Amino acid sequence: MMRYLIVTVAVFVAVFLTGLSLASYRETFEKEFMLSPWSIAKGEISACIQCHTSDSMDSKMQQLVREWRSSWHAKNNVSCHDCHGGAPEDASMSMSHQRGFNGAPEDKEIPAFCGTCHIAIMENYLQSGHGKTFLNTGEGPSCLTCHGSHDIQQASMDIISEQHCSQCHSYERAKDMKQALFMVESKLNTINKDLKRLKVLGIATDRQEKAYFRNHAGFRTLFHSIDVDAVRAKSSDYAQNLEIIESDINESFKQLAFRRNFSAYLFLVFIGLSIMLFLLSKSYEQKNS
Amino acid sequence: MWGKIVHWIEVRIGLEELINKHLRQFKTPKGATFWSTLGFVTLIAFILQAVTGIMLLLYYIPHPEHAFKSVQTITNEIPYGWLFRLIHNVGGNIIVAVIIIHMVHVFLRVSYKKPREITWVTGVLMFLLVLLACITGQLLPWHQTGFWQTTVTSTIPSFLPVIGEGISSYMRGGASVSGITLSRFFSFHVVILPVFIVALMILHVLLIRRQGLSTSPAVEPEADASPPEEFRREPHLEGHPCFPHFSVKRSFMVMFYFTVLFFILTFFPNLFLPAEANIQADPLLTPEAIRPAWYFLAPYQLIKTIPNDVMGISLVVIFSLVLLFWPFLDAKDAGRNIRKRPMLLSLGLIVLALWAIFTIWGMYS
Repeated sequence: MMRYLIVTVAVFVAVFLTGLSLASYRETFEKEFMLSPWSIAKGEISACIQCHTSDSMDSKMQQLVREWRSSWHAKNNVSCHDCHGGAPEDASMSMSHQRGFNGAPEDKEIPAFCGTCHIAIMENYLQSGHGKTFLNTGEGPSCLTCHGSHDIQQASMDIISEQHCSQCHSYERAKDMKQALFMVESKLNTINKDLKRLKVLGIATDRQEKAYFRNHAGFRTLFHSIDVDAVRAKSSDYAQNLEIIESDINESFKQLAFRRNFSAYLFLVFIGLSIMLFLLSKSYEQKNS
Repeated sequence: MWGKIVHWIEVRIGLEELINKHLRQFKTPKGATFWSTLGFVTLIAFILQAVTGIMLLLYYIPHPEHAFKSVQTITNEIPYGWLFRLIHNVGGNIIVAVIIIHMVHVFLRVSYKKPREITWVTGVLMFLLVLLACITGQLLPWHQTGFWQTTVTSTIPSFLPVIGEGISSYMRGGASVSGITLSRFFSFHVVILPVFIVALMILHVLLIRRQGLSTSPAVEPEADASPPEEFRREPHLEGHPCFPHFSVKRSFMVMFYFTVLFFILTFFPNLFLPAEANIQADPLLTPEAIRPAWYFLAPYQLIKTIPNDVMGISLVVIFSLVLLFWPFLDAKDAGRNIRKRPMLLSLGLIVLALWAIFTIWGMYS
């Protein structure tokens, strides 16, 4: 009894004395552990975001950050400075033109602004009726018309809709193109879902992902040409390419099924052996009793 | 033919005498149950880890640029590589569970008391080394989960005053987890820790063989319960020969271990491999939630919960030391029957309950 008491008292004295004498250590811990760069998401270490979410900004400016946070760009770690330039790590120089800050583009600069990253799509767009109208008249659909700005979501067929297209012209031609794109688009969606599933299940999908990305990006440029005949002709090429990826994916699912069946077989073998040995053990116990 | 082979071996090593001495004449105590075989199950589980580990070692490359790819190659391209990897991964988790159950059983039977203090100490040391092997092993595939778990795990010792920074820095080989950490963890995981674990295992088994298995206090006569003043092997006169009686029990439990292993492999193959374990480590991309492995959730949550982190880490260290030297702290004159020692039973149950609560809390916090 005395021993328990001594041990308990010793433990508490050791803990509290150490704790009290080093209470300030918490501050150091918070600085070094909780606020260290790796404990915060990459996109959040940004003077742009800190300033634009502060109370000194009006609600419209604060809304931009909220929209960006739910965007496809944010999900892919594309932050403010990736489009607008500047120095996000340095609050005092974050909006300096010397540090590459280019602010919000003028309307006519929008295709080049987005085309910094989306090069092939920009080229196809500029050659299309949409692009030519925009370049010649300064009016007509730019990237923002269909995709929005800060709340950009992953591009999908849903963008080609009566709501969007009928802002400028009738929906008929766009509807034809959407139908031509539909099969490839649904294949792309299925492949994307399957690749994500395979990855979670531990299958290496690098090769298929690269092929998917190549075809996906190429197919997206096709959207922007708004040439229905060209879309019809090229869609079948993309469909063939995607079938190759699909067959690879099917092989991977078969491999997973084999793994499950093989493990299940061994599981049953060991259940059988366990039952046999359990009964044998019980029979020895009965003999001895 | 079989008889000739046995005779050939018999002439050279005296197989019959060996079996008689170590299996038939070695008696196990009356009342030895399936629970008493958990030490043996741990031994087999460790051998399984060693065998699968060696298979993985044939293809694994301990370099930040190649480690992830080499593990992906093992899993997806090497014939049955997935099987070895999953057995090693799942086995590494079950072995911790088996050791914990084994320790709880030994504690409840109060088998650690004189003359078995060293057996307990070697057992706890092995447990701590197995945990270290788990920590070092989780970084080797160089995936997001392992990388960030290691980042958190290697930060925790730095809360310790004076020596903390040194320990963290030594673990990482620098200020953050890098290629040096990978080399260091690799050496510890495949050479240094296994050598110490095997050495302790030999000592542990040797002590059990010399002293004999402990009798359950429930069936032990009161007269035999007093601690011996000089060395004597427990004769277990009323017990049964190790072979075949106890060996069948052991074999059953080993088969049961494999059954659990393959149950997980069949129905939950990714139980210990979350989605981020399939993404290469990226020091610039922090996952949304970083949680240590299930067996570290309790101490992790404890450190998070206690306002003073030095106090938190001190508690974990003190608990480990108390666990290690428990046989020397337990009352000398008290008996081995835990039913007659309500304070000890309560202490054991409270610690277990707290561990379970903190683990579940850590899982959902």
